[in-house]
Amino acid sequence: MSEHRHPHPTRRAIVQAAVATPAALAFPSLLRAQAAPVRIGYTMARTGPWTTGAQVSQEPNYLLWAEQQNAAGGLNVKGSKRTIELISSDDRSDIETCVRTYEKLMGSDKVDLVLPPWGSNANFAVAPLANRFGYPFLAPTALSRRLVEMKLPYFFLLLQQPKPMMDALVAMLKENGAKSVAVIYVDDLFGLENYAALKVALAGSGMSIVEDKSYPLGVKDLSPVLRSMKDKNPDAFIGLTYPPDTILASRQSKEIGFNPKYFYASVGTAFQLYRNVMKEGAEGVLGMGSWNSKTSPSAKAYFDAHVKKFGAAKEPDRWASGATWAGLEILTAAVAKAGLDRKAIRDYVAGTEHNTIIGKIKFSGSENVGTPGTVAQWQKGEFEVVWPKANATATLVAKPNWV
Amino acid sequence: MSLGSWLELIASGLITGGVYALVALGLNLQYGLMRILNIAHGEFLMVGAFITYTAHVTLGINPLLMVPISFLLLMGLGLVVHRLVFRRLTRTSPTLDIFEARGLMVSFGLMFLVQNFAQTLWGGDLRGYDFMADPVAIGGAQFSANKILLLVLALTISAALIVVLNKTLYGKGVRALMQSPTGAQLMGIDTERLHPLMFGVGLGLSGVAGCLLSMTYTISPSMGEPYTVTALIVITLGGFGSMAGALAGGLALGVIEAIGMHFTNPSLKSLLSYGIFIGVLLWRPNGLFVRK
Amino acid sequence: MKPTHRDLLVLFALAGWAAALPHYASEFVVSMALTCLMYATLSSSWGLFCGSTRYLSLATSAFFGIGAYTSALALEQMPWLAAIGLGAAIAAAVAVVMGAAVLHLRGTYFAVLTFGMTELIRHAITYWEKQVTGTVGRVLMVVPERDTIYLTLLGLAVLAVLTSIAVRRSRFGLAMAGIGADEQRAQTLGVNTRLVKIAGFALIAAFAGAVGAAMSVRWTYIDPHTVFNPFIGFQTVLIALIGGAATLWGPLIAAVVFSVLAETLRLQAPQIYMMSLGLLLILCVLYLPGGLASLRAQTLRQWGDDIRGGWRNLFSRKAKEAL
Repeated sequence: MSEHRHPHPTRRAIVQAAVATPAALAFPSLLRAQAAPVRIGYTMARTGPWTTGAQVSQEPNYLLWAEQQNAAGGLNVKGSKRTIELISSDDRSDIETCVRTYEKLMGSDKVDLVLPPWGSNANFAVAPLANRFGYPFLAPTALSRRLVEMKLPYFFLLLQQPKPMMDALVAMLKENGAKSVAVIYVDDLFGLENYAALKVALAGSGMSIVEDKSYPLGVKDLSPVLRSMKDKNPDAFIGLTYPPDTILASRQSKEIGFNPKYFYASVGTAFQLYRNVMKEGAEGVLGMGSWNSKTSPSAKAYFDAHVKKFGAAKEPDRWASGATWAGLEILTAAVAKAGLDRKAIRDYVAGTEHNTIIGKIKFSGSENVGTPGTVAQWQKGEFEVVWPKANATATLVAKPNWV
Repeated sequence: MSLGSWLELIASGLITGGVYALVALGLNLQYGLMRILNIAHGEFLMVGAFITYTAHVTLGINPLLMVPISFLLLMGLGLVVHRLVFRRLTRTSPTLDIFEARGLMVSFGLMFLVQNFAQTLWGGDLRGYDFMADPVAIGGAQFSANKILLLVLALTISAALIVVLNKTLYGKGVRALMQSPTGAQLMGIDTERLHPLMFGVGLGLSGVAGCLLSMTYTISPSMGEPYTVTALIVITLGGFGSMAGALAGGLALGVIEAIGMHFTNPSLKSLLSYGIFIGVLLWRPNGLFVRK
Repeated sequence: MKPTHRDLLVLFALAGWAAALPHYASEFVVSMALTCLMYATLSSSWGLFCGSTRYLSLATSAFFGIGAYTSALALEQMPWLAAIGLGAAIAAAVAVVMGAAVLHLRGTYFAVLTFGMTELIRHAITYWEKQVTGTVGRVLMVVPERDTIYLTLLGLAVLAVLTSIAVRRSRFGLAMAGIGADEQRAQTLGVNTRLVKIAGFALIAAFAGAVGAAMSVRWTYIDPHTVFNPFIGFQTVLIALIGGAATLWGPLIAAVVFSVLAETLRLQAPQIYMMSLGLLLILCVLYLPGGLASLRAQTLRQWGDDIRGGWRNLFSRKAKEAL
């Protein structure tokens, strides 16, 4: 089999050269960016049940970040700029694939840095690896008390953990006079831990749980459960759910006419997708959200950049996306200061108070103690933070019946 | 819980059960008649669902129209599969046991083949579309119109199949073959034509079930396996080869699951189903409805 | 040289070569070899019982998972080999109970039942973990050296083949073959079929449990979904069947071939791997029921004749229609 050789350089190469030459002439620093690229590896769910979450909250941010950094000449590694090379693959929402791939990335490929996968489950599985190989992990989509308890020095959780999130929710419900709640939770690490934290928060609050049911990931039909909840007429419905189930629960509640005063679904409500699917029905729905473009000018800048790159149909979500971007901001600052010495990066992350688009972030062990637990609500097409009052972008409104 | 809610619960169990019955009927035809335990049955259901989804989303075809179309398409596929694969098995297997074992293995292979082919073609994500999702109030309860349609169609098709098998000459031929293959052949019933046809009908039924399911639930390439297992459980409950048993078993299983989930957790559903399965296989291998 | 002596010699030569592998091969190759050894053990032992008695067991994943969970929970308290042994023992015990309940059923029923039980065990343990222990999976913090794991698996593989060689020549092996050929006749000839079947079933369970116990530490994190994955069982059966379940070296060769394929394709193109697996199985069952090991020059000649005959038929029919 003979190899075809192109007698002329491809069009792409010409364009690249045409763009690069004047740019190189204008910015001499670009010429210096001939140093080896910074290799950053990760896996992300591109197929399977985690895809919705992963492709909204995490991967687009990784891509946007790499693009932004490279457009400015590369990642600042202790003064010199080096291009970022992302080495990624689809983990198919399968833990085993995650673990094996990260082992390969850190153990044999020996990449410079790694970025975490999506979800509490996957992060729980790869956390010991981070420690074993000594790669700092800044995880923006993991909620797990167990992870914090493992006290892994190389693992950092950016998202607010179950306790602060559930405390915030219960405090808000209590202040607004709710007396009874019905709960469903996915029997995944996320759901289990949040449910445990919720029960602790509710104890002594004067509110009672009238029904609580767990369901498996990938459930097709929640209407029997929702029907019996409707029958019990609780003030609040709390769904500790993942994006596909959040949508399922919302649609089926609408289908059967289940209209509690407060309707809370944890993950997925912060997504633009939720507004698209539920349309006017999204009004008044509560969920886990901690920022929007009103939170700070840098938040707005990030929002606009995201929409510019991915289109108006792909906004960042109002919770984990912010945390992902904040994590990348922290990583950028760490590499600028400490270079690619992974231990030094880890020490910098652990010991400094960081300014990010979602506010100040500070780590106590693995946990981010800078961002408080929050509750957000859909109001007129935007997911507004309504609790705690200090971080609120709007005040709580009553939820109308499903339309 | 109020009476109205109980009725709602049982009704939603019947709706799920209707689909189970439809899927089980197809599997039953294949096993009862030809002793082919088609483990890949659910995968063809998935194919039916995806064909309907694609037709609706890209070509704008009404899913109701896809019901007969998916039946015919999958029946055609069934004829092809039988011709290519199972016919040779029938010829080369020395005993019935060996034929059954080989049939099982082959359908394993089919399962891998079809599921991964669909995954390559359509990707692993969940998909869905809205069809007749408006709520309909019956009595004090609210159901979505597509679920009611699902139940009605599933029951109608199942009933039609049972009637065809019991009343028409063709149907009687099939039942004769199930009872005694040699005797039936002596009476002039053409096995060569009937086997592929019934295999095709079996697959066609699962295709229709898939089409109906795509209207109400989200679909993904891995959706088939749980339905295969459920179909197995149903035909075990109802007795291998008994059509009415499969119908009753399907509806019963749907209701048992709904009630079970109500008292415990949806997380327990699989455990419950498998428990029933093992229990029935061990203590009443001929099915709950067959009198011995 | 007697066939047994020849087999033993080949076995030890291979084992010696395999033992030296970790010292000069890359991380990736060693990891692939590990998978090879795992499936070699699983399919050899599976073939030993299921190949001769013709009882198709799909319960391999159940025993594997039981072994994995045992070692995950026990490693903190006991030394490595003891944990492996415990895994094997518990798996065998479960097999005895399962076997006593279901081994009186024939062929398809048995296969479907073992599958059902595997899923039942998986869902039961999942439920237990989630509702009672409140966790989804378990993280393994105490992990032995890679070389230890490798040598353990190598040892298990060698043991499996040795057992295979020994059993085939023993009365036990003959009894199993007799059950496979005609169970009723074996019974009338005085074989205690029930005992033989349960013993054989427990044997493969012990191997699967031991392998599971050893492999759990490879993953550092286990959950029911990963270790009770039915695919482990399916792949074992596929490899054994394609290789030739009743033969000695068939499963081994097939295990090597498939592990190589699996490791190279799994991370990049898993669907293609699975599809080819499915296709291969179908082709094997249809055209080569004895597996690859039964492939002989005569078989190839037979296929050639079949194909030629098929073409002739096709053309003669077309010729008749044209007239």
